[in-house]
Amino acid sequence: MSNPTEALKKTVEDEDLKYVILCQNGDTEAFEILVERHQKRMLNIAYRMLGDYHEACDVAQDAFVAAFKSIRKFKAESKFSTWLYRIIVNYSKNRLKELQVINKREGLSMDASGEIELKGVLDQSLIHENNPGIDMEMREREAHVQKCIMLLDDEFREVLVLRDIQGFSYEEISDMLNIADGTVKSRLSRARNALKDCLSKVIGDL
Amino acid sequence: MKNCRNIENNLPLYLDDLLPVADKKAIEEHLKSCAPCSKKLAQLSKTRMLVSNLGDVEPPAWFKQKTMARVRQEAEKESVIQKWFYPLRIKIPVQIFATVFIAVLAVYIYRSGEQPMKEVASTSVPAPVTEVQTGPPPEQKLKPAMGEITQKGKTAEEETIHNNEMPRNSVRESAVYKTEDSAEGLSPDIKKDKDQAAPAAKSVDQPEVKLEKQRAIESGAAGTVMKDNSILRAQSPAIRQNILLRVDDVSKASDDVETLITKYKAKKISGQKMSGKITLTVEMKNQMLKEFVESLKKVGQTGVAITSSVYPEENILLTIEIVKN
Repeated sequence: MSNPTEALKKTVEDEDLKYVILCQNGDTEAFEILVERHQKRMLNIAYRMLGDYHEACDVAQDAFVAAFKSIRKFKAESKFSTWLYRIIVNYSKNRLKELQVINKREGLSMDASGEIELKGVLDQSLIHENNPGIDMEMREREAHVQKCIMLLDDEFREVLVLRDIQGFSYEEISDMLNIADGTVKSRLSRARNALKDCLSKVIGDL
Repeated sequence: MKNCRNIENNLPLYLDDLLPVADKKAIEEHLKSCAPCSKKLAQLSKTRMLVSNLGDVEPPAWFKQKTMARVRQEAEKESVIQKWFYPLRIKIPVQIFATVFIAVLAVYIYRSGEQPMKEVASTSVPAPVTEVQTGPPPEQKLKPAMGEITQKGKTAEEETIHNNEMPRNSVRESAVYKTEDSAEGLSPDIKKDKDQAAPAAKSVDQPEVKLEKQRAIESGAAGTVMKDNSILRAQSPAIRQNILLRVDDVSKASDDVETLITKYKAKKISGQKMSGKITLTVEMKNQMLKEFVESLKKVGQTGVAITSSVYPEENILLTIEIVKN
């Protein structure tokens, strides 16, 4: 009895489903509403994963196009947003790997060039149009946090971004990353501890 | 120390209130007596606050438009692919079209390749002919000429080709007589010729004779129409000739030519009258050709490029075009 009710609840909750079905039936313009709804979150996930605004814009676009191309494969087993965010996480991880290869080739190790990286993050932070009132200290702190996030391993960074920045539930994260609930928790635990250690070193006394 | 490490590992989950009650109580007990762990909890809490306070970035104004432009492009590409290759029922006509196209192209290429080959074959045979023609009595010179050719180092195969052509021509000759016979009345001379040729025709299979007959009629008619006689030459080399006769009075000249035809024992194959132009196709002995052309010069202005066959006794198919000067 409970299962059909739950399934119904899930379907009713997913407001995107209507537009997804339209897209699946060949209505390209319905996808615009989905882009409108999710663009900000998609961009922010990519931005926190990559630490670069322009790269994040490119990757978010690629992810949307990829989602459109395979929208017929979406079976409504999970929420559309979960399916969509899974794509952006994977695209961000792939892009990060590419950038690491490029940096290595150019002789700039991600770990060894902390100063350059931090400067880049700071500059990125300065161009935020949505934070005009933020003072210099805040922006600097934000840049330090972003830098420490970037120093985390991929598997820790993704859970931290999804849970502590984007506020997704453990269940959603487990679904998005296709890992067990317990794995999400243990990874998050280690990610937070690592971030705390990094920030203690960078900022000093927290 | 060991206890502190365990506690530290669990502190993030403690913050999220995700630990079982027993673990939670153990941590709370530990924190009361452990200052470093309490400090770590405070640091964790601060870290979490810093992370959650990270501001969101806004997508650029062009983001949606640019994304949708790419999406539309993708949709278009997909529909084109679907139209041509998917599903199967649409795919089949494309394959049929491709097959038919290739077949037509193959035939076209084959045909266009055939023509130059024929021309090459036709020009290779009459080459030595001009030499033979220049000598005085053609009939006597044939055999020495043949001998000469052989001496000059012609291959045995080439000789065979010449010899093979002889009976074929005689068959065609007789076939042409028959055509004439059925088309119109014959003069006694012609009939005599025909009788001579008849046994040769009889010796050959009847269907082949008919076929050759047909070919002779066709080529005779074609010669009147086609200005470029290369095709004629290609079909039977060095036995067809064209003469252009410019006269003041076309019908009078036509009568004169008819008289000459009778005089030189030639056989009229066909005659066509068009506006201001009469085309006659006649067949005559090769050795008569020179004299016939000389006589034609008396009737009007002639434009001829005569080449003769290797075999003087062979018949010549001559097309005379009488046009007004």
